[in-house]
Amino acid sequence: MNAVDGVSFEVDRGEIVGIVGESGSGKTMTALSLLRLIPEPGKITSGRILYGEKDVAQMTDEEIREFRGNEIAMIFQDPMTSLNPVLRIGFQVEEAMIAHQRFTNKQAKERVVPMLQRVRIPAAKDRVRDYPHQFSGGMRQRAMIAMGVSNEPSLLIADEPTTALDVTVQASIIELIRDLSRELRAAVILITHNMALVASLCNRVIVMYAGRVVEEGPTRAIFKNPQHPYTWSLLRSMPRVDEKEKERLISIKGLPPDLGKMPPGCKFHPRCKFRVDRCFTEEPPLAEVDPGQQARCWVLMKNIPDPEAQAKT
Amino acid sequence: MAQAAPVIQPDLELSYEMPEQVTLLSDAWRRLKRNRLALVGAVIIGLLFVTALISIVWTPYPTWLQAVGPTYQPPSAAHPLGLDQAGRDILSRIMGGALITVQVGVGSAIIVSLIGIPLGLLAGFYRGKVDTVISFFINIWYGIPDLLVALILVFVLSDALHLIPRGVLVIVIAFSLTRWMDVARLVRGQALALREREFVEAARMSGARDFALLARHILPNALGPIIVQATFAIPAAVLFEAFLSFLGLGLPSPTPSWGAMAADGYHGMDFAPHIVLAPTIALSLTLMAFNWVGDGLRDAFDPRMRR
Amino acid sequence: MSAQAAPTAATDPTLKSPILRVEDLVKYFPTGSGLFGRSVVHAVDGVSLAIQAGETLGLVGESGCGKSTLGRVVVRLLPATSGHVYFKDTDLTKVRGEKLRRTRQEIQMIFQDPYASLNPRMTVGDIVAEPLRNFGVARGRKAEQKVQEVMRVVGLNPNFVNRYPHEFSGGQRQRIGIARALVLNPTFIVADEPVSALDVSIQAQIVNLMEDLQEKFQLTFLFIAHDLSVVRHISDRIAVMYLGKIVEIGPSASIRDRPLHPYTKVLESSVPVPDPDIEATRKPILLKGEIPSPVNPPSGCRFHTRCPIAQQICTDVEPPLEMKESGRFAACHFAGQL
Repeated sequence: MNAVDGVSFEVDRGEIVGIVGESGSGKTMTALSLLRLIPEPGKITSGRILYGEKDVAQMTDEEIREFRGNEIAMIFQDPMTSLNPVLRIGFQVEEAMIAHQRFTNKQAKERVVPMLQRVRIPAAKDRVRDYPHQFSGGMRQRAMIAMGVSNEPSLLIADEPTTALDVTVQASIIELIRDLSRELRAAVILITHNMALVASLCNRVIVMYAGRVVEEGPTRAIFKNPQHPYTWSLLRSMPRVDEKEKERLISIKGLPPDLGKMPPGCKFHPRCKFRVDRCFTEEPPLAEVDPGQQARCWVLMKNIPDPEAQAKT
Repeated sequence: MAQAAPVIQPDLELSYEMPEQVTLLSDAWRRLKRNRLALVGAVIIGLLFVTALISIVWTPYPTWLQAVGPTYQPPSAAHPLGLDQAGRDILSRIMGGALITVQVGVGSAIIVSLIGIPLGLLAGFYRGKVDTVISFFINIWYGIPDLLVALILVFVLSDALHLIPRGVLVIVIAFSLTRWMDVARLVRGQALALREREFVEAARMSGARDFALLARHILPNALGPIIVQATFAIPAAVLFEAFLSFLGLGLPSPTPSWGAMAADGYHGMDFAPHIVLAPTIALSLTLMAFNWVGDGLRDAFDPRMRR
Repeated sequence: MSAQAAPTAATDPTLKSPILRVEDLVKYFPTGSGLFGRSVVHAVDGVSLAIQAGETLGLVGESGCGKSTLGRVVVRLLPATSGHVYFKDTDLTKVRGEKLRRTRQEIQMIFQDPYASLNPRMTVGDIVAEPLRNFGVARGRKAEQKVQEVMRVVGLNPNFVNRYPHEFSGGQRQRIGIARALVLNPTFIVADEPVSALDVSIQAQIVNLMEDLQEKFQLTFLFIAHDLSVVRHISDRIAVMYLGKIVEIGPSASIRDRPLHPYTKVLESSVPVPDPDIEATRKPILLKGEIPSPVNPPSGCRFHTRCPIAQQICTDVEPPLEMKESGRFAACHFAGQL
């Protein structure tokens, strides 16, 4: 089974790239393979992951460990599972810094409080002595971010960093990630199911479906001019908080395919309202539709006269 | 809603997206099959039951018949397990003992469950005062030296009051009255947890009365752990019977209880060890088999506990 | 309820035919008794609201604000500590036993977790048929027909009655839960986060389904969710909850255009919109501090510890939830000033 199939993309320094998709779309697998952290028995069967000049897929275990520690920070959905419940927050941040070998023990100790302040934990001086359970969800996520960015990584991977958080807390975490990416000049990969979050944070978007990239391009193009029917429908399937007139949501019928039972042809065709005969048998390539924008579709939304009317039938 | 036309056409594409039908029990069965030790245990238990059934209609010799050959005769072609100190055929008595073992084990598991399940359900479901009272009794009962009480019960039920002739039933009742707490406590915990689950709330919203909530929603979902617990009660009861009979306080002679048989052969251990070995090996195999199957069942019902 | 008294959210004069009225509802949970006496979680603390027949009232708030507890007290899955819930003319907080059970025929609930809310040991057919069975509405062949009909109505293939819940996807399970809630033809349904466990594309299916069902069967919904976008889309009116209290209640559109309570304003500003142009200019109002513990809620206005425009009076005097404009209620001394 291929959880992720033929995915290629690049991220530049200072750029924030969003990978969007529903559960099972392969978005998390893609990110984990960047770090070679795929759970057993999965493996990378082909392809290259170039980090600068280095190929991550070819690195030895020693190299990969160093690479993970020094160049990359990862933020997960549930910070509680990544924090040790019996150790103080300050100590864990300190350990992270020492483990990454950028700092001596003494330097690390001195940098803990400034680091927590940098991720805007209020009263950081007092709170370094707290245990994880004394932190709220948002504060824990901040502490995780502090641990991640303490070694000045050049790539930050955030996997659904705000999904478990309340919307007011989400807003502040998103601000924090935005500011940090600017300060660190780091590349950021945001993995999420939330299109609105992508619109708010990302320069570029990669839309994944059934383990494939179905559309990719600059955020503005993807949102204003989506060419893949999946992207197009997804945008119209979510209600907007600024909705003026109540319009019926466009729903995508059926379910995403099982990894074990991929349909032939285009993987989206069983749910697609704009499919043509060719979609049933032949999988389209990811092809350029506009400068910088690519889509994996035989039809393309721009060739459909009145898609709204057609989608509602 | 009687004549309502479909608001939404049924999504017929669902049909090919449905995975093959697996029920929770068949899933547990699949996991159980992968556990070698549990399978061996199941085979032994199967043999035990078959032997017990056969012994009802046929044994090579009557189990009580003395002097079918020389006393203390070692195993031979005519008597594969030899003869005991009274010249009885040990194979026949082992077979008869299997029946006693099955009766004691299964009977105890059933009665322990009959006492423990309702008490546990009531305590866990109603909480409050009901729980306080039942939990109080559970804890008191745990504090009582069960072996001693069971012995007294055997004596009181059969010898002093002549309520029931001393036999399997007395042993089973004595055992169950002192060992129902494990099941009760387990079921109470299950009920406490399950009553908070959304599907129980949903059932309440569906207008289910308390009995339906307990019988249809809580009990079926606690069945896995209950079966495991009951399975572990079987070897405990079997051992209890063997122990009593070994001391001569259990089933009266000439009932072919494995414990009594071991006691009978005890004096001839130097020159005729086969008399002791046959029942003890049968007993050990049975106890191990039930424990293996119990472990296997526990893992099968709760995949998280697997190594 | 004299005619002279100022209207409360429970006696909102703009509602022509309220079907449900909640008055001063309070729900406290005792927490583990500590060394120095018992402490109490003020989950719902004096909530009043009314729901118009046929409308959807959205109840929105962040985790721990008490919205799910409120929903459960309203349908009497939990007993109230004090206050009243009038459904039509019965006070639901007072009914017990068989009478309470009978109310389930009119009041139903859709649950959040489509995995936890279906009994894994029952077939889908049995799950949907259970309410019919419990109330002796239909039996045998007639019950079967009814079940298949409802399954068709919610978009499930009726041939799947003999399947078990774990064989279905999240969206399909939620449809099963909706079918169970519908089978008795209720008039009022509390939906507790019915779509938040679902994938985006599936959420739209369920939201659309609920809208269709409402129209078809003249249902009244109390729609509880943390996601303001979904609540906005589906609700006619919205109630915003913070730390056990309703801070604002009113028509969805007017709240969107001009929120009265600062907390509503903060919520509105925090939700991102799938439009990069709007996002480029949207400036979320970031709250200081953290949500206080419901064990020991702040004095005065509960939001004053984090409110950007709080004054001394907010610490001292608790603002009542009062009508500021026709049909619009807010509990704030400085309503509309943020």
